[in-house]
Parts: sequence; C-alpha cells; structure tokens
Amino acid sequence: MAVCPVYTTQSLNSTCSISTPSKTHFSSHHNHLVFYRTSKRTSKRGGSSSCVITCSAGDSQTVVIGLAADSGCGKSTFMRRLTSVFGGAAEPPKGGNPDSNTLISDMTTVICLDDYHSLDRTGRKEKGVTALDPRANDFDLMYEQVKALKSGIAVDKPIYNHVSGLLDPPELIKPPKILVIEGLHPMFDERVRDLLDFSIYLDISNEVKFAWKIQRDMAERGHSLESIKASIEARKPDFDAFIDPQKQYADAVIEVLPTQLIPDDNEGKVLRVRLIMKEGVEHFSPVYLFDEGSTISWIPCGRKLTCSYPGIKFSYGPDTYFGREVSVLEMDGQFDRLDELIYVESHLSNLSTKFYGEVTQQMLKHADFPGSNNGTGLFQTIVGLKIRDLYEQITASKTAAPLQATKA
Amino acid sequence: MTINAMGGGAKYKGTQMREKQLSEMIEKKVTEAKQVCEGDETSDECKVAWDEVEKVSQAKADLRLRLEVEKKDPLEFFCLENPETEECKVYDD
Repeated sequence: MAVCPVYTTQSLNSTCSISTPSKTHFSSHHNHLVFYRTSKRTSKRGGSSSCVITCSAGDSQTVVIGLAADSGCGKSTFMRRLTSVFGGAAEPPKGGNPDSNTLISDMTTVICLDDYHSLDRTGRKEKGVTALDPRANDFDLMYEQVKALKSGIAVDKPIYNHVSGLLDPPELIKPPKILVIEGLHPMFDERVRDLLDFSIYLDISNEVKFAWKIQRDMAERGHSLESIKASIEARKPDFDAFIDPQKQYADAVIEVLPTQLIPDDNEGKVLRVRLIMKEGVEHFSPVYLFDEGSTISWIPCGRKLTCSYPGIKFSYGPDTYFGREVSVLEMDGQFDRLDELIYVESHLSNLSTKFYGEVTQQMLKHADFPGSNNGTGLFQTIVGLKIRDLYEQITASKTAAPLQATKA
Repeated sequence: MTINAMGGGAKYKGTQMREKQLSEMIEKKVTEAKQVCEGDETSDECKVAWDEVEKVSQAKADLRLRLEVEKKDPLEFFCLENPETEECKVYDD
C-alpha cells in the first residue's frame, strides 16, 4: 500500500497545479493523492461530496528483500553475489561516513540492520543486553524507515559504527529499486515482515559455524579454539531465542550442514547445503530437479562427468517445514571444474536464468568468493536470480495498474 | 615507523589504523570476556562480553574481506574528496 503525503490547497480548477513544499524528499516514485471538494453541493446525506484521484507513478514502489543470519552484516558474499546479478558493483555511499555499513549499486541498496541498534556498545554493556536481544534494537524506526523507502520516500538512517561502537550521525538513503535489509532481525518484527517482498534465512549448523569461525578468527591475536567456542556458546541462548525462530517466516532458507560424503569430516570444508523453498509464494517458483514435485536423488558424476573426491550428490523433493509446504533442493560436495558446474546447471529447472549457463557465469565471476565451489555459492547465486525474476514480475504488474478516478 | 601490511590492499592510513584498532580490540575483548565469565558463565555480563568479541571479530573479517577479496579500500571515495586529511595519507608497500 502506498503512503502518500497530503497537502491542502486552496482551490483546484483546471488551470491549477499542486506546488510541492521545498522541504520534502520528493522522488519520481511519488504517488499523489488529491482530495477536492466540488463547488456544486451535490450533497447526498448532508455532507459535501469529494473526489479522489489517485495517480500511480511509473516508477512505483521499491521491492524489499530481507536477509537474516548471524553476526550482523557478515553476509557480504551473499550481498555481493546478489548485487552482481543485477549488474554493477555495490559500493559504500560516496563521500559519506567511511564507516557506513550501507552498500549501493545501480539497482540495489543494502542496509545493515545493525544501524537500528538502539543501544550502542556502552549501552548494551550497561543494560546487560546482547546485540541479538530485541531490546537492543529500535524496531519502530526500522519499520518506519523501511516503510518510507518502500513508498519512495528517502530517509535519514542512523549509522552503527562497528569500530567505535557508537551510533554515528545519520546518512541519507534514497529509495532504490531494490532494497535489501540484512542483519540479525529482518523478520523479527511483524510489521517489517509484512513489508518484505521476499525473505531469506541463512541457517548455519553449529558444526559448520564453529569451523567457519575458526577459519575467520584463528589468525587473530587473542583468539584460540577455546575463545571461539566460548563466544559461540555464550551467544547461543539469545541466538536460539531471538534469531533462529525467524526461519519459519522465510520464503527461502539456505541451510548449511557438514557433508555426509566424508565420514567424520570436521573441517567444514566440504558442505551439504539445502535450499528450502516455500511453496505458494507470489512471484517465486521454486527450482527443481528433473520432475517438479517428485523425489529425486542424483549423482551427476559417472560416465559423462568425472568428478574428483568426494564428488557431488544432489537430492530434491517436497517436504514440510514448520507446517508449511516446501520444496528442498540439496547439494552435497564440491565443484572442482567448470564443466561440473555447467553440467549441473543444465539439469536444473526453473532457475530464472536469462540464458543457458548464466548460473555458471555468475559463479565464475566470483570464483574467489567463499563458497564458490559448493552449494552455498550455487544457491546464493540461484536465489539472486530468483530475486531478479521476482523484481521483474512485481515491476511489470505495477506498471500495468491503471489510473483510477471515482466520483462520489 | 613501521607499516604493517595485513593482507591485501589497505591503501590509506585511516584504513590501516582501523585494522589495527579492530585487531587490538579483539585481543582486549577476549581477555575481558574471560575475566568477566570467570565468576558466572551464565551471567548477562558474560553473554554480553562474548557478543562483543563476536561483533568485533566480524567487523575485522568484513574489513579483511573487502580489502583482500574485493581489493577496495573503504576510504577510497572519502579520500578522493578529502586527500589532505591525516586519514588519507597513502603508504606504498
């Protein structure tokens, strides 16, 4: 639903136009709602009649995507893959606060939800509240600003400075074509949830989380296996209470687990990744393997394709997830060569690619990103294409909306 | 003055300072967390202390990713407009 500013005007006749006050965040996305009273009192039941004219702007509303996972905005890889699907590189806002968490490309703006922390580092320490706790976050502001951006109104968004631990002065965010909100709580508040056109939850299992954090932190002075483990354990209660429950609301969940192809693999290098896709989501048709709705188990390696150890195994099938119908596509193993990737791509359906090999091309473009040789990179790329498809469908349906004029 | 080049790409002094700051904070906060949790591992203070470690560790990792994988200094645009500031001094490896 569009939110339109309302202005009063003295009289409106055929030669009159509405002048906009100087101090507004006007953009081409704006919808104008005009109320006027006719001079002729065609009073029906004593009141004056009024006409309502609604104009739908060609550029219409912003599409909003929510991405949830642990550790604030550490999903840089996912974000970069996503923005890459739309073309152009995502950069921090030019000339602004260098500690800004925001990324902007031609089509997309990615907002880090840490910017909605109501408590800074000191505040959280004083109150004994982690960043995972809803009490550390301003959901009213998050809702207001996401709603405003969705309706084409620019906002002054706070900046959470991760270095100083303080809330810096706000930065101006203009409504983009696609707004991505990423962080710990994109789906926590119901009002914000309702604004999302699509939502994704990145669900990392404990073993993989531990392995990834070891890779991330072991080179840092001060960290050890013990400190990494202690940090995960200490955060677990709040994580389980506040973050994890959001996954039931997600349209797509990317679940990352240890591989089943190698017994006792505890290095977390080979991964089993499941793409859990909700059925019945508007503008979203789940990816499938071979035969939609059936159950498939597929090992592509064989006579036509040679893979190195431990190989690749796919499965696909319907399931229920928190009481909802889903389709699950799963990949266990790794890609070692380009031809493995293209071979797999050629057997998947409903990828929303614009040309054959687009998934492979996108993966190769970011071959140096983490996850480029396994299901995480593959499914992130596919979700990116799905979001592009969703965006195009939503935009197409909006421009078809006609002008309406009703007379009382 | 020795310049410690940590991985790829920290071009500007300001970014190197931030890297250093974050590294030092990680070390400091791990020590703090261990101390705070000695008394009671399930206390709020202990939870918050380890959450801080996580936040700072992730911030450092994000910066590293940007520098090493993307090969872009976050201060790039700021420094194009403000080349005279202390933060924008450039060091060659």
